[in-house]
Amino acid sequence: MGASEQDLAAVMARLEAMDARVGYLVRQQEKTAELLGEMTPILRLVMESATGKLDELDKRGYFAFGKEVLYLTERVVEGFEPDDVRKLGDAVVGILETVRAMTQPKILAIAGEASDVLERSDEAEPLGLLGMVRATRDDDVQKGMAVMMEMMRHVGRIARAVETQRKADPNAEKKAKLAAVLGPRKKKVLGVERTAPPQRAVRATREPLGPPTGCAVPSDKPREVAAVIDGVAFGADGHLADPASWSPELAARLAAAQGVPMDEARWAVVRFARADFEATKTSPNIRRLTQGTNLATRDLYALFPKAPARTVAKIAGIPKPAGCI
Amino acid sequence: MNIATTKRKVAIIASHGGLDEAYPALILANAARQSGIDAFVFFTFWGLDIITTSKVDHLHVNLAGNASSGMPTVLAGLPGMESLAASMMKKQMTELDLPTVREMLQILDESGAELYACELAMKMFKRTKEDLVPEVRDVITAGDFYDLADGAQIIFT
Repeated sequence: MGASEQDLAAVMARLEAMDARVGYLVRQQEKTAELLGEMTPILRLVMESATGKLDELDKRGYFAFGKEVLYLTERVVEGFEPDDVRKLGDAVVGILETVRAMTQPKILAIAGEASDVLERSDEAEPLGLLGMVRATRDDDVQKGMAVMMEMMRHVGRIARAVETQRKADPNAEKKAKLAAVLGPRKKKVLGVERTAPPQRAVRATREPLGPPTGCAVPSDKPREVAAVIDGVAFGADGHLADPASWSPELAARLAAAQGVPMDEARWAVVRFARADFEATKTSPNIRRLTQGTNLATRDLYALFPKAPARTVAKIAGIPKPAGCI
Repeated sequence: MNIATTKRKVAIIASHGGLDEAYPALILANAARQSGIDAFVFFTFWGLDIITTSKVDHLHVNLAGNASSGMPTVLAGLPGMESLAASMMKKQMTELDLPTVREMLQILDESGAELYACELAMKMFKRTKEDLVPEVRDVITAGDFYDLADGAQIIFT
């Protein structure tokens, strides 16, 4: 029995403790309610005043301004890279100095005058070349021109200094490497630095070669026969009158008559010329021969020293190539 | 490359540096070599631009004072007009598959035509042999040119 009494006592003690706690909480609650009751009017006042203030700020454009600033910041972040910002950091002192120099009263006065003139620009009369010459007689214009010249001289000097600095930049190689890794940047360089035009792609394969271009002239009209030698008809220019009468044996004789010792390289050129003529009805000029045989112009002149395209056409039994390239 | 068997020679004097003025000289020289005729080209005054490395790819077309351009001289003098005309002409040339001026110079050199620069003009324009394209054989005087082109027909462009 003793045990249960003890248990009961413990439970009672716990309940008492709980009661004390509940009492404390109730007291606290009452205090808070009181406080709230007291605070409400004050809070209302504060809120009213704050709303008024915010409203006033809004009217004065602070929020619109803030929004714009955020947008501007975003644009700046998009447009610049960390490297740029680091450079900007170095340049900040210079920028501030420039700003200070530019906001000197004297300079501002000049700028104000200039903007006044722009305001009244619709009053200005159109001016011709003679009018310009006449205007240079004016003392003020002369003074203004002198100032402009001096400014231009300075700008020129600085531009040259910047150029030499850029050339002497010791990190140029690293920067170039970095740029290669980062890919092209949309950055327009001031001045007249032009890039070399893209080189034309060299034809790597022999086929297919498109139709003849340039001033190439088809040469498939029937030709007059000027002479018949050993039963073979020739035109007045020494080319075969009829390409169909050609044979490799005849080609060898024609080459011998031209003083050209035929070998495999030369035969390849002749074969291409003949095939190209059959396909396009146009005798290939030297440019087309180089494209079709993968030989350089130099090589063709070495193989057929005197007028390569014509010599080849003669040996191939096709008309004289027309056109100027 | 000397060709002993040919007797005909042409000496072409290129004195203007416009794109439209460069081609006639270069094409004439090339056509001469293709016809087995020896060709010499002498570049003088503005013609030096054709063989100057920094200018050869940017030759312009002169519109002002050119009655055939079809453009009134007043408009032709506007900034950018020359570049516009040059780019239009280059486009047409690309369509015809004409070689560029630089390629023409290479073709001429490979075909054995000899290109020379005028010494006096080089001094006037303050250019050195290093400023010129590698195809130029030498910088010579007008007298040297006459010696080289002995017996040649002379064409002035």
